[in-house]
Amino acid sequence: MADAPAVAAAPPARRGSGEVVVTGAAAASAYGRGTEALASGLLSGQPAFAPVQRFDVGARRVRFAATMPGLPELRTEVTRAAGEACDDAGLSSAGRARTALFLAIHGDPAIARAPDADKPGHGPGAFTAAVAGDCGLAEQDIRCYTSACVAASTAIGDAASIIARGHADRVVVAGGYLVECDQFALFDAGRVLAGDGQVRPFSAGRRGLLLGDGVGAVVVESLEAARARRAPPLARLAGWGRTGDAYHPVQPHPEGHGMARAVTAALQRAGIAPGDLGYINAHGSGTGQSDPAETNALRLALGDAAASVPVSSTKSLHGQSLEASGVLELIVTLLAARKGMLPVNAGFLGADDRCRLNLVLGEPLAATPEFAMSLNAAFGGANTALVVGLP
Amino acid sequence: MTSPASVAPPSLAALRTAAAAAGLTVCASAAWPETGADGEVPALAGFIESNFSPLLAEVAARALRRRAQPDGAGNVTAIVMVTALGDVTSAVRVAAAVDAGKRVPPLQFFQSVPNAVAGYLAVRWHLTGPVVCVSGIRAGLDVAALLIEDADADEALVVCVDLAAPGGDRDRAAAILVTDPASLQRHRTAEPDGKKR
Repeated sequence: MADAPAVAAAPPARRGSGEVVVTGAAAASAYGRGTEALASGLLSGQPAFAPVQRFDVGARRVRFAATMPGLPELRTEVTRAAGEACDDAGLSSAGRARTALFLAIHGDPAIARAPDADKPGHGPGAFTAAVAGDCGLAEQDIRCYTSACVAASTAIGDAASIIARGHADRVVVAGGYLVECDQFALFDAGRVLAGDGQVRPFSAGRRGLLLGDGVGAVVVESLEAARARRAPPLARLAGWGRTGDAYHPVQPHPEGHGMARAVTAALQRAGIAPGDLGYINAHGSGTGQSDPAETNALRLALGDAAASVPVSSTKSLHGQSLEASGVLELIVTLLAARKGMLPVNAGFLGADDRCRLNLVLGEPLAATPEFAMSLNAAFGGANTALVVGLP
Repeated sequence: MTSPASVAPPSLAALRTAAAAAGLTVCASAAWPETGADGEVPALAGFIESNFSPLLAEVAARALRRRAQPDGAGNVTAIVMVTALGDVTSAVRVAAAVDAGKRVPPLQFFQSVPNAVAGYLAVRWHLTGPVVCVSGIRAGLDVAALLIEDADADEALVVCVDLAAPGGDRDRAAAILVTDPASLQRHRTAEPDGKKR
């Protein structure tokens, strides 16, 4: 490919030698429970946003989100997803008992309103231990990641790194966010929610983000361990990168320097060139500053390939799932590659010259990418990139 | 200012022990409080109503000022935040405003995740490594060791903060700057030109 930046293979020190695969996945979103419901909703191209019924939004400027019906409970939903991912991976009870859980959440939703004396029992670590216990996963080596919108993707990168180095055979990574009144009020106060009820990533006229229910879980495993128990991989977890911008407490680097380094690190670890990517599930928050910064990052890291690789932000369909975004969107990426249909970048009104990418518009795009990338960014200038490959 | 929740307060001794167990070398360290002069936590512009972020920033700054090379010598430094309960003071205030049907202060949005103060630290001290927040000291040190082993960082600033309960002990925090000489030596061998990432 002409004029692509050179992506040297990762030096041996930058990753272990083991192959890492995903052997099980489960999800829940406003489209329903299960990966088939998610895939079906994504390929419908119809955004899941609607007026919020779950709690009172009368005092808010914006009243839309993408939510499941009723009052789902976070611990129940995360436990269900982690269990279903283990089922999908064909993991035995004995295997689960030897597998650690990395969980990405904002926190226990009950902590703010719990009596003072009970609050220590509502910490994220206690919540994670409870989910691990409910799922029959190991009591040791559990972790809870609370690093905002890169929490789950960081956990997945860490799991891959640990497994590639042979420090563990398998990790279950799960994440969950269910739209609730406190975060909704905070995002409304921050004036980042889209008042027109649609998320329009990379589009002219974009108004901001909208929150969405998102729960996901994946079983990340060494290829060797998967083969030993004859578990077919859903995908290879080929590369990962995590970086910081050191630019601003809550805004991305406008030139995308940090995210570009994360993309390059992920490509290096995967041992592939920019032109090998067949799909990018972008962070694509739909906000004024973030989308141009991400576009610049892709141009910087991918060179000419940034203009040709198909890109969509499925936050335009299922919404922003905060700490769970990384695992939900990795599953979206994996489903797109496996089904050979790339979901649309919904809500597009017209081109923004600062966001010139090959967006998937109108209808899902039939394509079978050998490699696909999922990007996430967060407050603090944190960036992650994950590369999956078909097995 | 105190928060309405408490867990075992973070201590420098616990952090040092966990660092040694993870095979890491401590290059600099700091705690809050360190002396009787540590009364009110210094305010941090842009962060309101809670000591969580100001305390994290203060203890991190103390550790970074004690580096052998104050400018960081071009090292890539990861930020790993460890907190058992997070910023409960802010969470309680937001919940109270929501329950009262009031709007919450916009600045609470920006400090609603620990990443914001990490971003402040990253800018102030030019820390260009990954930003991670986890809930346990051992997890934090394991993350730090992994980032250095994978050459995503040369060193990691591990900051541990939890706020005090009402009527209980004081707000406490501890920070250590860690590295892994064995990993760094392997990286130099793998990249003999010494090229920075």
